[in-house]
Amino acid sequence: MSEPVADTAPAGDPADLAAAATASTAAASTAASTAAGPPARAVPASTIAVRVRDRALGTPDAVAMREKDRGIWQEVTWAGYWDTVQTVAHGLLALGVQPGDRVAIHAENRREWLFTDVAAVAVRAMTVGLYPTNPAPEVGYLLSHSGARVLIAEDQEQVDKALEVLDTCPELERIVYLEPRGIRHRYRHPALLGWDELLAIGAEHRAAEPGAVAARMAAATAEDIATLIYTSGTTGPAKGAMLTVANVDFAIRVLVDGGGFTDPPPGPYDVLLSYLPLCHVAERIFTTWFNAGAGVQVAFAESIDTVQANLREVQPTILFGVPRIWEKILAGVTIRLANASPVKRWNARLWLGVADRIAGTLVRSGGRHTAGTRLAYAAGWLFCYRALRVRIGMRRVRYAASGAAPIAPDVLRFFMGIGIRMHEVYGMTENTAVATGNRPGRVRLGTVGEPHPGVELRIDEETGEILTRHGGVFAGYYRDPAATAAAFDADGWLRTGDVGEWVDGTHVRITDRARDIMITAGGKNIGPSEIENALKASPYVKEAILVGDRRPYLTALVGIELETVGEWAQRRGLPYTTYRDLAGKPEVRTLVEGLVAAVNAGRAPVEQIRRFTLLPKELDHDDGELTATQKVRRAAVAARFADLIDELYARRPANTDSDGSGRDGSDRSGTGPGEAG
Amino acid sequence: MTIPGRRTRLRGRPELHTSYASELALFDTRAKRVAVAGLLVGALALPFLLTDEVLQLLALCCVAAIGAIGLGLVTGYAGQVSLGHAFFLAVGAYTAAAISGDPDGRVIGFGVTNIAVWLPAAGLVAGLAGVLVAPLATRLRGLYLAIVTLGLVFIGQHVFSEWSALTGGAGVGRPAATLEFFGQPIAATGPFGTRDQKLYWLMLLLLLGFALAAANLARSKVGRAFTAIRDRDIAAGVIGVNLARYKTIAFAVSSAYAGCAGALLYTVTGFFDPGSFSLLLSVQYIAMVLIGGAGTISGAIAGAFFITLLPRFTRELQAWVPFLSAQPNEVPNVFQVETILYGVLLVVFLIFEPRGLFGLWVRVRNYWKAWPFSY
Repeated sequence: MSEPVADTAPAGDPADLAAAATASTAAASTAASTAAGPPARAVPASTIAVRVRDRALGTPDAVAMREKDRGIWQEVTWAGYWDTVQTVAHGLLALGVQPGDRVAIHAENRREWLFTDVAAVAVRAMTVGLYPTNPAPEVGYLLSHSGARVLIAEDQEQVDKALEVLDTCPELERIVYLEPRGIRHRYRHPALLGWDELLAIGAEHRAAEPGAVAARMAAATAEDIATLIYTSGTTGPAKGAMLTVANVDFAIRVLVDGGGFTDPPPGPYDVLLSYLPLCHVAERIFTTWFNAGAGVQVAFAESIDTVQANLREVQPTILFGVPRIWEKILAGVTIRLANASPVKRWNARLWLGVADRIAGTLVRSGGRHTAGTRLAYAAGWLFCYRALRVRIGMRRVRYAASGAAPIAPDVLRFFMGIGIRMHEVYGMTENTAVATGNRPGRVRLGTVGEPHPGVELRIDEETGEILTRHGGVFAGYYRDPAATAAAFDADGWLRTGDVGEWVDGTHVRITDRARDIMITAGGKNIGPSEIENALKASPYVKEAILVGDRRPYLTALVGIELETVGEWAQRRGLPYTTYRDLAGKPEVRTLVEGLVAAVNAGRAPVEQIRRFTLLPKELDHDDGELTATQKVRRAAVAARFADLIDELYARRPANTDSDGSGRDGSDRSGTGPGEAG
Repeated sequence: MTIPGRRTRLRGRPELHTSYASELALFDTRAKRVAVAGLLVGALALPFLLTDEVLQLLALCCVAAIGAIGLGLVTGYAGQVSLGHAFFLAVGAYTAAAISGDPDGRVIGFGVTNIAVWLPAAGLVAGLAGVLVAPLATRLRGLYLAIVTLGLVFIGQHVFSEWSALTGGAGVGRPAATLEFFGQPIAATGPFGTRDQKLYWLMLLLLLGFALAAANLARSKVGRAFTAIRDRDIAAGVIGVNLARYKTIAFAVSSAYAGCAGALLYTVTGFFDPGSFSLLLSVQYIAMVLIGGAGTISGAIAGAFFITLLPRFTRELQAWVPFLSAQPNEVPNVFQVETILYGVLLVVFLIFEPRGLFGLWVRVRNYWKAWPFSY
C-alpha cells in the first residue's frame, strides 16, 4: 500500500467518501490541486475507484475476488486489488491516457477486467467493454466508433481481431494482451504490449510520480463519463451509452445500498459468480458495482460453458441470470431427472409436484410462505430440494434475479417452488438498469416489479411506452447526437422503447419492445415475447421466433435445443447425425407439435400459432442472427429464412420434392411447414 | 496480487478449493472428519466391550491389514501383480525374531528386544529384499511377473525350511519377536488391561500409522506415478514417469510394509514355523486386496478384516445351520464351508464387483451423492 492517506477508513456514506477523497488530495499533492478544482463541484465524485480504495483501507485482508487458475481458486484481497489497480492506473498514465480517453477491454470475465476498469476510472478515462464473441468487423466498428486509445485484449484470438482492423482505428495506439501464449516471441507489432510490461512501466511511473493517480482521482467530477456501454444492437449498429460517474453512483445507491436488486442489501459476506459478459450493464452491476459498492466477493467463472460446474463449487448467495441461463438449468434438471433411476425419478416427481403447489401459493401471496408451505417445504428439503439445490449450485442462493430479457413465468415458478427467492427485475443500459424490480414478499409473477424508490417512472397513455426520469439516466449516446435526441422526450423523460402496463397500480408488466409488436392483417396487436417465452420454457426449445406482422395468422420458427432433443432421441433409439438431421426427423416435429399445441391451448384464436417450422441450423452470433447477448436479430432471421416463412404462408404445405426454390444445399425434408395444434 | 498458500475457506462450500492442500486433504469434508473420528473412538473403545479372544483376532486383523496395505501399494496402486508377498512377510518375521531372540537360545538371536529396533529393521531388510526383486519387475509385467514372484515364494520356502539355525526347522519353528519398548513390556496383563487388550490397542495404533503413511504416499507425486504406471506403463513412460525408479519404489515400500506386518503377525501367537509362508499366504493377501478393493487403502483394510474374520464367521455359522458339523471328519463341516466360501467369494467379487468391498461402498456413496439425479 503506497496510498498516501492510510489513516482514515470512512464508512459507507457517500458524503464521507467524498470528504475522504478531498482529504487525500490535500495530503497527496499540494493544496493547489484542491484549490484548482472546479468551484461548481456540488455533487462530489464518488467513483468506483474511490470505493475500492476505501475498501482496501477498511478491510485490506478481506477477499475481494477469486479466479480459478490451475485448478485452484486464487484469491485477491482488497489491498492486493487496490495495489494492482494503482499500478495499472500508473501504467495507463505512462501510456499517455488523458481524462476522457477511452480504454477498451476485450476479454472474458477475469481479474484483469476489473483492474483495468477501476484503473481507467481512477485516471478519469472511460471503459469500453467488447464482447469476447464479437467478430473482427464488429470489433473494428466498436474500436473506431469509440476511438479507444488503449485496448486490453485477452489472448491471441482477440489480438488477431484487433490487428486485423487496426487500419480502421486511427486512434488506437496500444494493444495490451493478457495471455502471452502464441503472442510473445512471435508477434512483432509496435502496438503490442504484454500485461506484465504494462505493470512494469506502471510500477516505474508509480515510483517516479507517486501522487499522479491520486491527483487524477481528486480531480474527478460527477459528470465524468465512467464507462461507455454499447447496446447490443438488435436492429442497427451498436450505440455507445455514456454513463457518468453520477449515474453509476446513483445506480449503486439504489440497486446496491437500497436493495433494489438484492433485498436485504448485499454485504461483504455475500458471494456471487461473474459469468455473463462484463460489457453488459447487468453483469457490470452485479460484478463491479456490487463488489466495489458493497464488498461482495466475486468469483469468476472459467467460461460460460462451465457455469454449472462453477456454480456447484462457488455456491453463490446472490445469483443473477438471463432467461437463457435459467431455461438451460431447468432443462438440465428435467433431462437428468428423466434419466434417473426409477426410485429417484419417483421421488423427484413427488417432491417437484409438491414444489409446484408451494410455488402456486407463493405466486398468490407474492412470495410469502404460509405455515402449510413451510411445512411442506421442510419435508421436501429433506428428501429433494436441498440435494437438488446443491447439484445446481444454488444451495446458498438467498436472492436470485432474472433480467435483461423477458422470461416465461413457468420457469420462475419452478425455481420459486424449490425454495429459491426469484425476482424478475427490469432496467436498461440507458437508465443504468435502474427502473423496476420485484421486492421480496411483494413478488408478482409476470411483472417486472415496482419502480425503485426515488425513481420516476410513467407509462405513456397513448403509446403505452415506459418512460423513466432519475439520476441514473445516461448522458447520451457517444458521438451520436441524433440518437441521443431521439431517446429523450421534451420533458427529459427517457424513452425506454418498451411497451408496458400497470398491474394493480403498483407493478409494471412489460408487453414487449415497441418495435417488436406485431399487427396481424386482422388488425390485432400482438407482443411476440410472451408467446415465444412460453414455448422456450420447454427444455426442448432453444429459440422461438414468432412471425405474423401484416400476415393473416401467426406462425413460428422454432429452433430445437440440440442437447436435450438429442438426449430425447437417444432414449427413443432414434439415430441422428447433425443438428439439421435431428431437426428434420418427423418424430422431433411431432414432439414440437405437442409443445406448440400446449402453448396454443387457452389462447384466443388470433394469438395461436397456426403453423411452425423447425430451423435447419442453430442461430449464431457469427452469422449475424444473434447479438453478442444472444438476442435474436429478427430482421436478419426473417431475411435469412425468408423462403421458410413464405412456405408457412403458402396456401397449402409445400411439397418438399417439388420445391426448387430452396437455398443451395438446403435439405428441408420433414422440416417443412404443417398445421399445428 | 494473490497471496500464495493463503487458506480462507468459505463455509459450506466443500468444492471451492483455494489451495492445493485443501484440494488434496485426506479428510476434506466435515462429514468425513466426523465419520473417521467416530470410527476411531469406536475402535479404541472396543476392548471394553469384547472378550479377549475376539480382541486377539482383531489384533491379527490389524496386522494383516498392514500387510494388505503393502500389497495394495504394489498391486493395487502400481498395478504390479506380486505373488511373492509371503516371502517378504517371512523375511520381516525372521529378521525381527532373530534381532529380538535370546542370544543363548536354540536359534539365532541378538537379544535386542526393543520394538523400536526390530520393527524398523524388519521393514528395512524386507524392503531391501524388495529392491533386489524390483529389477525383475522393471523388465516383466502381468502374468510373467506373477510367475517370477511365485518362484520367489518357493525359493523362500525351501531356504527357510532348511536353514534351521534361523527358523528352527520345518515343523518345529521358533519364538516370535518380543514386544518390549525400551525395557517395558508392552503387551502384558497388568493393572491397565489384559495382554490382549493392550495387544489390540498397539496393533490398532500401528495400523493407523501405517495406513496414514500409505494414504499420504498415494496422494503424493509417487502415488500419482504409481497410478500412471498401473493405467498404462508405456503412456506413463512417455509422459516422463521413470518406470524403473517408481517400480523399485513400489516394491521397496510394499516389501517394507510386508516385513513390518510379518514381524508383528506372530507376536500375537508368539510362535511360528517356516511352513506358514506358503503360496496360500500370498494368495490370502491377494484375496484381501481384491475383495477389499484394489487401489484403495480403506479397501485393503476392509479386505484384511474380512478375510481374517471369515473362519470365525463360518464357525459361528454352525450355531445357525444345524446340519453343519464342527468336526473335520464329518461331512458337511465348517472347514469345507470356509474353503468353499473363500473360493466363491473371490469369484463373485471378481465378476460382480471388481472394485471389491470399497466398490460396494462407492456405489452406495455415489447413489446418494448424485441424489436426486443418477449422475
